[in-house]
Amino acid sequence: MTEETTEENEIVRKMKHLIGKNVLESEVTRPRRIFILVNKKVFGKAIRYLTKRMDFSHVSTITGVDVGEEIEVIYHLNRAGTTELSLKVRVAKDKLVLPTITDIIPGATLYEREVHDILGVIFEGHPDLSPVILPEGWPSDVYPLRKEWTIKKIQKKVTKGGKR
Amino acid sequence: MSYPTIRIPFGPQHPFHIEPEYFMFEVDGERVVGVKPRIGYVHRGIEKATEDRTFIQNLYLIERICGICSHAHTTCYTQAIEEILGVEIPPRAKFIRTIIAELERIHNHYLWLGLAAHEIGFETLFMYSWRDREIVMDLLELVSGNRVHYAMNTIGGVRRDVTPEIVEKIRKGLDALEERMRYYKKIAMTEPTISKRATGIGILKPKDAIALCAVGPTLRASGIKRDVRADDPYIAYDEIPFNVITYDGCDVISRLFVRCDEVFESVNIIRYAMEHLPEGKIRIKVPRRVPEGEAVSRVEAPRGELIHYAKTSGTTKPERYKVRSPTLGNIPSLCKMLVGGYIADIPIVIAGIDPCFSCTDRMAFVNINNNKQWILSGEELRRYAIKWYRKE
Repeated sequence: MTEETTEENEIVRKMKHLIGKNVLESEVTRPRRIFILVNKKVFGKAIRYLTKRMDFSHVSTITGVDVGEEIEVIYHLNRAGTTELSLKVRVAKDKLVLPTITDIIPGATLYEREVHDILGVIFEGHPDLSPVILPEGWPSDVYPLRKEWTIKKIQKKVTKGGKR
Repeated sequence: MSYPTIRIPFGPQHPFHIEPEYFMFEVDGERVVGVKPRIGYVHRGIEKATEDRTFIQNLYLIERICGICSHAHTTCYTQAIEEILGVEIPPRAKFIRTIIAELERIHNHYLWLGLAAHEIGFETLFMYSWRDREIVMDLLELVSGNRVHYAMNTIGGVRRDVTPEIVEKIRKGLDALEERMRYYKKIAMTEPTISKRATGIGILKPKDAIALCAVGPTLRASGIKRDVRADDPYIAYDEIPFNVITYDGCDVISRLFVRCDEVFESVNIIRYAMEHLPEGKIRIKVPRRVPEGEAVSRVEAPRGELIHYAKTSGTTKPERYKVRSPTLGNIPSLCKMLVGGYIADIPIVIAGIDPCFSCTDRMAFVNINNNKQWILSGEELRRYAIKWYRKE
């Protein structure tokens, strides 16, 4: 990896300038790949800045990761097909609420619903958070991608004692 | 005087390869005025399953996400893991991955051409293009030993080499594929059977395509020049010259032309790759334990941008693995295209984004006013569409 990452570092610098200490972690792993973890307080401001001012207008997808006490939601934003910026934000499991980004980027509708399905994150302001992946009649307290729900445990719960 | 609209549930029994979908259409007479998608009917829980398997086992699981772009998925997967491992695969492996990826694209586009022709009732073209698809499938079998799940990729390189005899055979096959696609493109441009059904249908304006995050040929047919191969080069694409095809018709026929032209580009990429195939090893040994890290990997699958996210924790299994296939990225755009169109155009517009549409789909038509319900199979709907157009 000898390629230049000046542009990527510049983006990180601009983010730090905008929200200061609220950039909790940042990393440029290779050319065209940026990871930034921001404080939940400034998430709305950060995503607005990136999508409107920095042209990161394409949402490739949204990933949810269970990191113990919190859920990490990663917005994979893309600029003109090239640079992929992964904007991370962590929300506590007892208050899983994030503002929706569908008002800024309508293309994120299904991705937000998916994260809601599998990890239980509520996107405030989303027009319709009905299940998109999980079947009807899926138990409402089972979030399959959370670590406490192992495959065996899910099987036991949804197939009534492990029997079909 | 206004009439109440009628809601039509569409699906979900769609034996798609990746994502069966259910659409609730709201229609006013023959016009579609609203669409609501619902996916997940064959959700197999692959993301969860990866967390329970080693990196080598996952290679085989990831390969089986899709029955058409299996190579695109494993390329994306191996790339992500190699990035976290910090290894660079040998140049020859990169070129072989590129050759397979492009053969796969040719295969996909031939397959799509046949399906699209079938949807509009042009059976001859369907039969012809599927016959010619066999040429590329034979080539893939020749290289990898398999027609669908090539199993060429492994973490650290590829599993089989391309010998000079194979190169010679691929070259011959490519000549035939190129010539046939030239003929099909000519037909698509001149034949009224196609132009009448596909021109001006399923409009997706560039502004909407960007806002709804469309990907792949669907996006490029709306005049936006975006292709992961060119913008975010991976494997050997930074060493091979090629053009990104765009058309600005924003309709189904533009999507058809984009795919036709992409076949020519793919043929040229393979020819160039075979001519400049570097000597050397095809794979390197990598450790089974992957250090802690994360990576975002992107690939231009035949249907568009494919993105994987991997998070590892220093064990032999991934901590989290996320896959987003191109069809999911195109569903919001698809809904946009369908609104304002006719019921008769639903099959071809859906086929236009290339979601691996199979002909055994079922649809139920429900009239909510008098609770009458009738069910149409995909085949019946297709016939209905053909008859509807013949009346004009």
